[in-house]
Amino acid sequence: MPIKEKGYTHWDGELKKSKYPWIPITRKGIKLAFRKKFFKFTFFLTLIPAIAYLAGIYVSERLEDFAFLTQDSEIVSFLKINPGYFNSYFTQGFLLFMIVVILVFCGAGLISDDLRYNSLQLYFSRPITKKDYFLGKASVIAFFLFILTLIPGIIFLLMKIIFSGNLKFISDYPWLIVSITGYSVFLTCFFAFYTLFVSSVNKNRRYVSILIFGIYVFSDILYGIFKGIFESEYFSLLSIKANIQQVGAAFFGQKLPHNIPWIYSFLVLLFICMLAGFVLNKRVRGVEVAQ
Amino acid sequence: MIADVKKLTYSYGQVRALDSVDMDLPEGAIGLLGPNGAGKSTLIRILLGFLPPDKGSGHVLGYDIQSQQTEIRKHVGYMPEDDCFIPGMDAVSFTSYLGELSGMPKQEAMKRAHEVLFYVGLEESRYRQVETYSSGMKQRLKLAQAIVHDPKLIFLDEPTSGLDPSGRKEILELITDISSKKDIHVLMSSHILPDIESTCSHVVILSEGKTAAQGSISELKKIKYSLYEIRTYGDDKGFLRKLEEMGCKVELVEDKIIKIYMPPDKSHLELFRHAVEQDVQIRHFVKSQTSLEDLFAKAVGAE
Repeated sequence: MPIKEKGYTHWDGELKKSKYPWIPITRKGIKLAFRKKFFKFTFFLTLIPAIAYLAGIYVSERLEDFAFLTQDSEIVSFLKINPGYFNSYFTQGFLLFMIVVILVFCGAGLISDDLRYNSLQLYFSRPITKKDYFLGKASVIAFFLFILTLIPGIIFLLMKIIFSGNLKFISDYPWLIVSITGYSVFLTCFFAFYTLFVSSVNKNRRYVSILIFGIYVFSDILYGIFKGIFESEYFSLLSIKANIQQVGAAFFGQKLPHNIPWIYSFLVLLFICMLAGFVLNKRVRGVEVAQ
Repeated sequence: MIADVKKLTYSYGQVRALDSVDMDLPEGAIGLLGPNGAGKSTLIRILLGFLPPDKGSGHVLGYDIQSQQTEIRKHVGYMPEDDCFIPGMDAVSFTSYLGELSGMPKQEAMKRAHEVLFYVGLEESRYRQVETYSSGMKQRLKLAQAIVHDPKLIFLDEPTSGLDPSGRKEILELITDISSKKDIHVLMSSHILPDIESTCSHVVILSEGKTAAQGSISELKKIKYSLYEIRTYGDDKGFLRKLEEMGCKVELVEDKIIKIYMPPDKSHLELFRHAVEQDVQIRHFVKSQTSLEDLFAKAVGAE
């Protein structure tokens, strides 16, 4: 049996060049999010709309068993499963609000903690690039947001097929899967940029949390105030929520909630993403350079 | 050769941090010495690719510092000067996480994290949250994360800053052990002369962003000048003036000892001749070893 040298020993393995060097960053970010107080409970709350909409799909196929529900015309129209049903799930105010709450939990500290505790230099002294770093952090947000958007959307679609027992729904709306995927990716990208941007502007995670939540809510309040005064739908461009709902309706081919072209909303959100990208590139670097 | 730079220049706005620095760093333990603001940390950051040089070029372990930063970072460990950690993690998770980011497989990184934490003396507290660590423990943890992936070269930026004497001694012992017995090269920046003298065989002295001196410590001590310590009796003002005219640097130290830095082309016999001429008795005469402090003071022009 070999006698091991006490103290430092060389590692006999080989460093591998991973195709996805950002995966450990994502894994660690998800793990740390689940360790936060009340996160699991809040995340479960966020899944309630998905469960309710899934139940709606089941009920829509078994209306004869739920005759008491058919007496209310609103419920009956809600239980018509079509792209509008999907749109109402994806763009409902409660879901968007809860997504922002989840972002506060899982996203506020993603960059601000690294700035506060000087850990960027630890990341960038490793063979990872800025792109890997951002991708790793953004994937933490994508993980949670896909659980709330893409995965429920696909499950709704599958359950509709299973409960109806035929593929008529798919043949009626073959583009729906593209809409679900496209909208989920769009929403995730926007919120990833938004959260990382806000997280990079301050070293204090609490302040960042307030900003993530505050900007979202305040932009909507601002829209309400201006719309009340000037009665113009164009002020919906000030609201993050209204812009998302507008683009969501366009993705699902539904009537736009605001009487302005959806492309304007899309461009506003795109501008926020570009601004975020620019700021992130400036703020995140291996060393703080004091000019 | 572990690293070399040519005409490396870098400025923070109007402030020139590095000014045409040329260096060749041989294998082993190399000290990067200089007063605060000399450009030591800037140089390390450029070598790691954190900062792009304004001018000049360089290589670390044969890789270009401007185009092959990823390769450099794969083979180099870095222990930053500032406190830095990732909150919410214990030391084992922290160290293995950084090992994974270096390219180690997850299981291997975890195993290795335990090993290096044992090595740096954090075995008892490796499951404690890193934010609860004392300054000394954080220094050890930073060293652990720098060596977790078994690099060929480690950059240590002021590794003993903020440590008490015993903590400092222990960190220096670890550095000496790594560099002398473990076949890992070390570039250690410090403004604490004894730290460099006790751990390094070579030194690069930076002053105001320029290379003031570089080479093997023993060679640098030898070739520059001869150092004598004397004690005199009588009025020695004229005698000391004569020595200065001869090109010697004269320094009065405690206990009436006078240090004479004599140029290599002069003989100590001339010192006695001047003493006779000036009617001064020399009651103590020792050929002294130059310390790094002497070399440092001479290189950076400090009194």
